[in-house]
Amino acid sequence: MEGGPTQAEIPGEPTHTGTAVLETATATIQGFGPVNKIHQHLCAFHFYADDMTRQVEAHHFCGHQNEEFRQCLIYDKPEKDGKLIGLEYIISERLFLTLPDNEKPFWHSHEYEVKSGILFMPGVPGIVQRQDLEKVAKTYGKTIHFWQVDKGDSLPLGIPQVMMALTRDGQLRPGLAQDVENRYGISFEKERENRVHMTGPDHGLHPLANAKCQGLRTVLREVDCQPADSMPRVFT
Amino acid sequence: MAASEAEIPPGKSMTVEQTMLDKGAQMLQTLEPIKQMSQHVCTFALYSNDMHRHIETHHYVTRINQDFLQCAVYDSDDSHGRLIGVEYIISDRLFEGLNPEEQKLWHSHAYEIKSGLWVNPRVPEMVVKPELENLARTYGKFWCTWQTDRGDKLPMGPPALMMSPQAVNLGMVRPDLIKKRDDKYNISTDTLKVSRVEIGEPEWINPQADYWKQHQKCFVVDAEPVEMKKIVDPFP
Repeated sequence: MEGGPTQAEIPGEPTHTGTAVLETATATIQGFGPVNKIHQHLCAFHFYADDMTRQVEAHHFCGHQNEEFRQCLIYDKPEKDGKLIGLEYIISERLFLTLPDNEKPFWHSHEYEVKSGILFMPGVPGIVQRQDLEKVAKTYGKTIHFWQVDKGDSLPLGIPQVMMALTRDGQLRPGLAQDVENRYGISFEKERENRVHMTGPDHGLHPLANAKCQGLRTVLREVDCQPADSMPRVFT
Repeated sequence: MAASEAEIPPGKSMTVEQTMLDKGAQMLQTLEPIKQMSQHVCTFALYSNDMHRHIETHHYVTRINQDFLQCAVYDSDDSHGRLIGVEYIISDRLFEGLNPEEQKLWHSHAYEIKSGLWVNPRVPEMVVKPELENLARTYGKFWCTWQTDRGDKLPMGPPALMMSPQAVNLGMVRPDLIKKRDDKYNISTDTLKVSRVEIGEPEWINPQADYWKQHQKCFVVDAEPVEMKKIVDPFP
């Protein structure tokens, strides 16, 4: 992991001036309804649900739908040319418990990420972010990545991957941790002390969450299109 | 609709405290990648695994360069819009460089644009014409992670691959969906179609894209349990 999280450059010509001018126009004329609800930036790490050794720095840009539900876009870096690599949904423990059992393995706990100091809000004073993180520690998240930047993919290739979050000491790659700590001038170890009082889900970590304490992998299946294309469709 | 709109997602309404925290974070954090979104596109998509299911989509588009765009996709353009997925858009030039297995996952945009389905709400048609000319030659890869159209209150299951509308029967968008959209923006898809005849048809659309059209094969992503490759035991 040398020189920051992003390796591969996206291929393509620089944006033509005409296109840029046009998009300045659309950006001015158009409304950005749901996007305007995005109000916070969280930094953390994800790893692949079938391979903990592959870890990715993840910058979450989140909006609340309500007190118990956030939806986040995930970028590989918090900059203009950040790659949109995935998304995450964050829900309260109460909502998590309403999910059918076969859905629960997709979701991961946030208790360790918060308590260890590793999940943080860049640029927000500790005392302020801790008020929110206290809540996050009790939630569950479902993260899907579409772009495997850790493999050096310069374009989003292959099928979506289910991601998991850190759950105990010894999992996070020291190089990744140090890189982030240096860039943001923070110490996970020190911040951990400020969060000792925080607690995870009231009912403890659910045994079906975190890939059922096992692992998950996605596979692509080719099927016949339903119904057969030979059937004429009639709209009334 | 299986569930009332207001119940998706379920959850307690925002507390004043959380609203204040969000406002504070928004002021302190730059949210740089989000600010780069420069277009709102409204169009339609079909589930690859069930082509009878069509959805209206709202794409918030960021251009990274002349050949690559990334989109956050919502199910509505109001502030309660739910984040339902991500689409990537690449030029024909980049598409031809992908391997054939990868190409199967992508769809063409020519018909969607020529037929008037793809619109930039509130932007005069004249302004976006040059951009539409470019986009007609692009390919997209769209993963849907929240099937709100079937009433899922929370995101369920693995991601679904989405296809673009096409001029053949299985690819035709439900007229009632189009009417609903047109009424909302006070536009006419049919009129747009006529005004877009002059947009050049691409000389070549790679038949690996829109794979179902030639091969009658669709795609499903499954998630299966697997033993995770770990760094430390146990997990979690």
